[in-house]
Amino acid sequence: MDTLRGIARRLGIVVFVVLAASFMLSLLIHLLPGDPAQILVPNGTSELIKQIRHETGLDRGVFGFYFKWLGDMLHGNFGKFYLNGGYQTVASHIQKGLPVTALLILYTQIVALGIAVPLGVACAYREGKRFDRIASTILFVFSSIPGFALGLILSIILAVRLGWLDPIGYVGFFQDPVKHFKLMIMPVLSLSLGIAANYTRLLRADVIATLKEDYVTMAASKGLSNRRILWRHVFRPSSTTLLTSAALNMGALIGGTIVVETIFNIPGLGFQLAYAIGSRQIIAIQTLVALIAFAYVMFNSITDLITNIVDPRTRERRA
Amino acid sequence: MRKPKKKIGFYLASAWIGIILFMAIFGPLLPLPKWDASNYDLLGAHPFTGGHIFGTTMDGYDELAGIVHGARISVMVGLVTVLVGGTIGSAIGICAAYFRGKLDAVVNLFFNVVLSIPNLVLSLALISVLAYSDSSHPASNARRILVLMISLSIVVMPILGRIARGAALQWSSREFILASKSMGTKSFDIIRRHILPNVAPAILAIAFLAVGVVIIAEGSLAILGIGVPGGASWGSMLANGRGNLQFSPHEVYMPIIFIAGTVISTNYFGDYVRNSLDRREAKI
Repeated sequence: MDTLRGIARRLGIVVFVVLAASFMLSLLIHLLPGDPAQILVPNGTSELIKQIRHETGLDRGVFGFYFKWLGDMLHGNFGKFYLNGGYQTVASHIQKGLPVTALLILYTQIVALGIAVPLGVACAYREGKRFDRIASTILFVFSSIPGFALGLILSIILAVRLGWLDPIGYVGFFQDPVKHFKLMIMPVLSLSLGIAANYTRLLRADVIATLKEDYVTMAASKGLSNRRILWRHVFRPSSTTLLTSAALNMGALIGGTIVVETIFNIPGLGFQLAYAIGSRQIIAIQTLVALIAFAYVMFNSITDLITNIVDPRTRERRA
Repeated sequence: MRKPKKKIGFYLASAWIGIILFMAIFGPLLPLPKWDASNYDLLGAHPFTGGHIFGTTMDGYDELAGIVHGARISVMVGLVTVLVGGTIGSAIGICAAYFRGKLDAVVNLFFNVVLSIPNLVLSLALISVLAYSDSSHPASNARRILVLMISLSIVVMPILGRIARGAALQWSSREFILASKSMGTKSFDIIRRHILPNVAPAILAIAFLAVGVVIIAEGSLAILGIGVPGGASWGSMLANGRGNLQFSPHEVYMPIIFIAGTVISTNYFGDYVRNSLDRREAKI
């Protein structure tokens, strides 16, 4: 019962935060100097502008506009991209972009965890030795280099100098799996190396702490092999912080993908947002930012709830 | 207890920040060509050719002059943003933590709302709205930099504000604060004399990290085409050079070296301050 009430409270906060954030955007739109409808269609006839103003609720003031937009969202109408003479629905852009970004984030997490788990355990096992010191320094450097810098360096080396990979572009998995993975290598690496460095540092710290527990000494005195102790007895209890942080990173990655998608011309959600901002499509910006904020807050809350249920110690600590 | 020896990283980071600050402050006095003066005989020259140590861009701009001028803009954006955003955020956070109650609830909610939008997305949205310009009224460079700084300040504010609030919450429940209160000290004096000095190190550590966040955000926004235009900042040089990867890759890796070096150094200082803070806490 207590858990249920906690979930309901959390959900209430999520809804409120997202509503407040999107209302803030509406307010910003109305603070714009000039007529927002004119910005949507700079060369539109006055009739078209009038029609758009009515269609989007821009003629009803801040609150009128906001509730019109919110009502439309709840009915599945995500607004429109206004182009020269016509329009495309934002929903169709999301439909195209979301799977691409989701795949990009999924690959990034897999690669980052794939690097971080063995490296973190290895560093902790050799704490203070040369391997640990060198690896920690390299990781610190990687965690500080922004993704776009890694991406550009990778494309200079792998695409321009060596010619192994195509510098930009995207091919769907079902169209050509080999090409799909070849094109994803550079974007995924440029996103995941920095994150992998952070994950490794977290895991290393936790494994070092767990290695000092009595039951590890006990296991060692029973004569179990080091490998078995590390993976069966130490890694599992040490991995909760890592998993929490990985889950929390899902939201942050949505932001990180914007630049990488732009550099590598990948038609994901971030790319669509950059396009909306470049062409000043206010309605699309409002919808996309609200959805990203929603996804971000949802991921964070779900992570919190799951860690609460899985690891009751965090519950007690908070109480 | 013996003071731990400073590591080589500390000296490297200090030296790097020193060089960057030197370039930002004394840049105009250095014997360099103007950063936006084109040398049409040397387009895309590689480093160490024709008297250009860092080479030239495909438009014939001297790369070193660009880096020195860019240091000025990037450092200014980084420092001003963190100072303004950090000061406002910390002030709000500390007051909220000290007075508790409704103010605290409102401030906490406000921080959560702003933090619910990933920081790059938030700065994108803010800039796209604030940097209003049309073909008949193009925004000037100075105005775009100003808008960039305002937007990033809003991004930095809740990051530092939340840290300040968290730290101040711990301190304001200690006994000596209560003692001071019972002696009738004014709230403002308690905050200034007792709370601020204690939470300052924690804020400083995150402020160093925030400078890095801002420099990266500046680069990202430039790549997305809505930052500082025309190669005036490091990010902007990077954005311009992105199209010339094939012929003059140094146009890209020079600004990257400077962006990455600066972010690594500020992050190092952030970690350093936090570690010495932990040691101090451990002693108490």
